[in-house]
Amino acid sequence: MASKLSHSIGTHTRLWYLIDARHQVVGRLASMVALLLQGKNKPIYHPSVDTGDHVVVINTGHAVLTGSKWDKKLYRHHTGYPGGLKEIVAKQLHQKNPTMILRRAVNGMLPKNLQRKHRMRRLHLYPDSAHSHALNITHQLPGPCPVFKTLSDYSSEEITSFPDIVTRISHL
Amino acid sequence: VPRVKRGVTKHARHKKILKAAKGYQASSGRNYKWAKEALMHAWSHAYRHRRQRKGDFRRLWIIRIGAACRQHDTNYSQFMHGLTAAGIEIDRKMLADMAVRDPAAFERLVALAKTD
Repeated sequence: MASKLSHSIGTHTRLWYLIDARHQVVGRLASMVALLLQGKNKPIYHPSVDTGDHVVVINTGHAVLTGSKWDKKLYRHHTGYPGGLKEIVAKQLHQKNPTMILRRAVNGMLPKNLQRKHRMRRLHLYPDSAHSHALNITHQLPGPCPVFKTLSDYSSEEITSFPDIVTRISHL
Repeated sequence: VPRVKRGVTKHARHKKILKAAKGYQASSGRNYKWAKEALMHAWSHAYRHRRQRKGDFRRLWIIRIGAACRQHDTNYSQFMHGLTAAGIEIDRKMLADMAVRDPAAFERLVALAKTD
């Protein structure tokens, strides 16, 4: 039965999402975060009302840039003075402040209107896993990129019991 | 023709314009010349936006339907394709309304769209 009472208290609240950025590609993660900040995942979305949620991203210091972007991607700004074009490589920017790359990515992916500033204020980035919003978090979301296990994630029994493919071929 | 002084008719014409411009900022809400200018822009915007309104709403409904579909493991394009394949002709306005007010029925539609 259709009725207005199908709205619950949770329909219009601002949720708090927690996302781990470890091994997540910056651009793909930023795209997902920008959608959450705008509230475009909600059927009650309207552009004039800020239906966005809070997003807490941890481990931004361990996010991934593919290719040779760490050495080649330039972040530029102009100071306003003649000859004042400042360029900084992604690697150096990351060393200076490990949250800046993701912050700039999300900022660029939000619509450029008056709501952008408010939405960016709802983005909370932390370079490591420590964050101060444990009481607020409502959901934890997986990042857009699948996380694979590295060699150090396997136990020594699993490593030794793995079938020995290389030595079997080497006798040929 | 007897001599006519233009005051009364002019006043009536101006009063009509100023009434239509009530609430406009600064001179545009008080001064006949500026009010007329502001109203010409307003009427031109209203004409254009009455036609744009149809597209604007359709775009909003599509965003809302897409958001609701993604909560049910599909996306807007797959959902609409499934609906047309199932012969369901419910329009986007009603689908978007159902997504908010009658989520159970919307979920049934998603299930119908997913069946081959």
